[in-house]
Amino acid sequence: MNKIAAVVNRYRALFLVLVFAVLCALPFVIPKALYVRYACNILMFTTLAGSLNAINGYSGQTCLGQAGFFAIGAYTCAIFSTRFGLDFWLLLPIAGVLAALVGLIVSLPTLKLQGIYLSIVTLGASEIIRIIAQTWTPVTGGALGIKNIPYPWLFGLDTFRPKYYYFIFLIIGVVFLFVTNRVLRSRVGRAWISIREDQIAAKSLGVQTSFYKSLNFMYGAFWAGVIGCAYAPFVNYIEASQFSTDTGFNVLAMIVIGGQGTLVGPIVGSVIVTVLTESLRFLENWRYVIYALIIILMMWLRPQGIAGASHSMLAGGKIKRKPIRKGGAQEHV
Amino acid sequence: MSERNMNGRTPLLEAQGICKYFGGLKAVENVDMKIYAGDIFGIIGPNGAGKTTFFNMCTGNFQPTKGKIFFDGEEITGMSPETVAQKHIARTFQNLQIFKFMTVLENVKIGCHIKTRSNLADAILHTRAYREDERYTTEKSLEILNRIGLSSYRDTLAGNLSYGTQRKVEIARAMALEPKILLLDEPAAGMNPLETRSLMEFIQSLNADGYTIAVIEHDMKFVMNSCNRILVLNFGQKILEGTPTEVKNNPEVQSAYFGKGMVAGEAIQ
Amino acid sequence: MEYLLNQVVNGVCQGAIYALMAIGYSVIVGVVGMVTFTYGEIMMIGAFGAFYSFQYFGNNLPLAILLAFSSSFLLGIVVYKVCYEKFFNAPRHISLLCTIGFSMLMKNLAQIVFGPETKPMINIIHNETFTLRLAGVAVDFKLLQIIVMLLVVFFAVSLTLFFNRTRWGVALRAVSQNKQAAYLMGINVRRTAMLGNCIGCGFGGIAGILLSIYYYAVSATIWGNFSMKAFSASVLGGLVDLRLSALGGLCMGLIENLGITVSSATFRDVFSFSFLILILIIRPQGFAAKKGSRV
Repeated sequence: MNKIAAVVNRYRALFLVLVFAVLCALPFVIPKALYVRYACNILMFTTLAGSLNAINGYSGQTCLGQAGFFAIGAYTCAIFSTRFGLDFWLLLPIAGVLAALVGLIVSLPTLKLQGIYLSIVTLGASEIIRIIAQTWTPVTGGALGIKNIPYPWLFGLDTFRPKYYYFIFLIIGVVFLFVTNRVLRSRVGRAWISIREDQIAAKSLGVQTSFYKSLNFMYGAFWAGVIGCAYAPFVNYIEASQFSTDTGFNVLAMIVIGGQGTLVGPIVGSVIVTVLTESLRFLENWRYVIYALIIILMMWLRPQGIAGASHSMLAGGKIKRKPIRKGGAQEHV
Repeated sequence: MSERNMNGRTPLLEAQGICKYFGGLKAVENVDMKIYAGDIFGIIGPNGAGKTTFFNMCTGNFQPTKGKIFFDGEEITGMSPETVAQKHIARTFQNLQIFKFMTVLENVKIGCHIKTRSNLADAILHTRAYREDERYTTEKSLEILNRIGLSSYRDTLAGNLSYGTQRKVEIARAMALEPKILLLDEPAAGMNPLETRSLMEFIQSLNADGYTIAVIEHDMKFVMNSCNRILVLNFGQKILEGTPTEVKNNPEVQSAYFGKGMVAGEAIQ
Repeated sequence: MEYLLNQVVNGVCQGAIYALMAIGYSVIVGVVGMVTFTYGEIMMIGAFGAFYSFQYFGNNLPLAILLAFSSSFLLGIVVYKVCYEKFFNAPRHISLLCTIGFSMLMKNLAQIVFGPETKPMINIIHNETFTLRLAGVAVDFKLLQIIVMLLVVFFAVSLTLFFNRTRWGVALRAVSQNKQAAYLMGINVRRTAMLGNCIGCGFGGIAGILLSIYYYAVSATIWGNFSMKAFSASVLGGLVDLRLSALGGLCMGLIENLGITVSSATFRDVFSFSFLILILIIRPQGFAAKKGSRV
C-alpha cells in the first residue's frame, strides 16, 4: 500500500493526467448506457460525499443532514430553470450559494453547541427542508415533484444522454477536488483540521473556532448545493422523497466506508457503495442489511474508513506508536 | 533584578482582585498580580491552590467571577480564548493539548494562524496573500523548530514523541504566535531531572531573547533559580508576590508551602 | 375553542408518550454517556413484540407491554455490545455512526422479517369517548387516551422509585454522574451501563407499543424518525434529567398538536424540529439549569 502511494506521489502530475484521460474516455468505452448511468452516479456521489467529507472529515463535526443541502440545490435548479428559464450554468453557483446560506443558518447553533447537538440540528434541518419541499405545492410541486427539468448546455452535446451528461459531473467533480485540495493546504484548511483534532488547543492558538466551523459548514453545503443542482436535470424529475434522511445516511455511509479526512476516501466510498447497491440488486432488501453491516464493521475495525486519514482523531483517538527512527533525532534543548 | 521593573512602568499582564468561585468553592480569591515585560514570573503553590484556574482566567478559558485582567494596559476580562490569543498571549496546558496526530511541523504551522491573514478565496485562487502566508508559515515554523531543537522531528507525529519532547512541541507551537507573553503551565511535569534542567536553560535563553514568561511549576529548584518574581498561592489566596529571596524568607510561605520544620534552603539545594 | 381544547388533550396524551420516550432516552444518554440513533428501531421492535403478543395471546395489554419491554430490553443488550462497549474511550462520532448503522440494519432486517406492509393494531382498547362539559365547552377524552396517560404515569413513577429506592438504581445514578468515581467505588461500570441502556431501551419499547396503540398501526419503518423526537424531548429537559425530559416530551406533544391546528398535519415534524433548533440556539441546556456538557 505504501509503495503504491510512493509511486503515485512521485509521478503525481502524470498520474493525475492519466486518470483524467481514462475518466474522459470512460463513457465511450463502456458498452451499456445503463453502466454509463452508474458511472454518472458514482461521479455525482463522489462530489456529494466529498462535500460531506469536507465537513465531517476535516473539521470533525458530524453533519447528518447533507440530503437537505442537496435538496436545496436540486430544487433551486428545478424551480428556476422550469419557471424562469434560467441557464443551468448560472444556476450552479446560485444553488451553491443558497445551500451555503442554509448551511450558515444551520451552523449558527455551532456558535454555542458542539458535537451531538450539531448532528441533530443538521438532521432536523434536513427533515424540515424535505417536509417543506413535500408540502409547499405551489412552488415545489409537492408530492408530484417537478418534471421536465431542461438539460444543460454543454458545447452543443446532447446532454440528454448520460454519455454526455457524464462530463458535467466530471467537470464539477474535478473542480471540487481541485478547489478543496487547495483549501485544505491553506491556513483555512489547517484551522479546520486543528478544530477536528483539539478544539481547546485550536482556541488557545487564536483560531476563531465558531467562525471556521461555520465557514466549513458553508463550504460543504455549497458543494452539496452545486451537485444537487447538477443532479436535478440528470434525473429530469425530482420530488421530496429523493431527499429523505436515508439519502443523507447513504452519503454518510459512503464516507464512513470509503474514508473520512482524505480526498480519496469519498471517491472510494462512492465507488464501493454504488457498485455494491447496483450489483447486489438481486438481493433486494438484504443489500441494505449488508450495507448496514459494513458500516458497523467499519466502525469496529477501521473507523476512519478504507482510505481515511489514519493519522487523525477519526481513527479512534489512539495513536499507533511507531519507533522513532534512530540517528537523525537529537534533542539539545 | 526586580527593581528595574518597579519604576512605575505599566505591567504587561495585570490581574486585579481576581476571584473565581465554582458554586461554593472559592478556587481563586482576590488575587492581584503584575507581570512586567522581561520577567520570568513563577506561580507556585501546593496542589489545588488555584494556579491553573488563575491561568485559565488570564487566557480566557474561564471567566473570573470578580476582578479584572489587563494586558498591556487593555482590559481583557471576559474575552474568549481565541481573542486573547490574538493579543499574542500564548499558553501551554498542564495536560498537554498538542495535536497528537499531526507532525511536529504541522503543529507549529497552526500556531502561525494569527500571524497570517489569507482567507478561503486566497486559498482557492492562490493569490499573493496566500503565497506569502504559506512562505511565512513554513519559514517561521522551521525557524522555531530549529531554535527549540526539534528540526529532526519535524515530520514525526507529535503523539509518537516522548513526553518531554511533546512538551517542547507545545512550547514551540506557542512561540509561533510571537507571544508578548508566554504562559507555561507546569512545563516540567513528567520530565526527568535532565530534561527539566535543559528545559530550564531553554526558558532562560528565551527570556534572554526578550520573551516574557509566566510559569506554573512545582519544581522548586526550577522556580527559585530561574524566576525573578514569584507569586505564591495557597487555597486560592495570594500569600506573597516577590523575589525568590523574599519568598524564601517569608515564614508564611515556608509554613504554607514548604511545610513546617523544613528549611527552605534545603529545597533549593 | 372546543377544537383547540381537544387538541390540547391530544397534545397532552401524545406528549405523555413522548415523555416516556424521552425518559428512556435520557436514561440511555445519562448512564451510557452516548447518544443513540437506534431508538426508533427499538421502539419498533417493542411495538412488534406487542403486536405478536396480541396475535398469539389475545387482547392482553399487560402481557403485551411486558413482551414489548422485554424484547426491547434484550435488543438493548445487542445495541450495547455492538455500538457502545468498544467505544467508551473513542471519539463520540464513532459510536454515533455505529448506532446509525445499527438503525439501518434493524430497519431493513425488520422489513424482511416482519414484511414491509403496515399492520393494523386496532381494538386493543375499547373505542369509547367521554365528554367533559366545562362552562359550555365540551372536551372529548377517549378511553384510549386516558389509559395511555395512566400507563405513562405509572411507568414514570415506577422508574423513579427504581432509581431512588433500589441498589441498582443508585448504582445507575452513580454511573450516570461520574463513571470514574463509580468505578472506584466498586461498581461494575460496564455492566451497569448495559443495564441502564437496556432499561432505557425497554422504556422505548413501551413507548413504541403505546404509540402503536395510539395510531392503530405498526410497521417496520413507522417509528424510525422518532429517535429524533425522543432526542429532542430529552434535549429540552437537559438531556440527562429524567423529570425535565418528561416535561420536555409533554411540551413537544403540545407544540406539535397545537402547531397542526394552525396549519396542516403534514407539518407536524416541522414544528417539533424547528422548536428543537430554536431551543438549541436560544437555550441549549433546555429546562435544566446547567449545560449538559457531558455528551
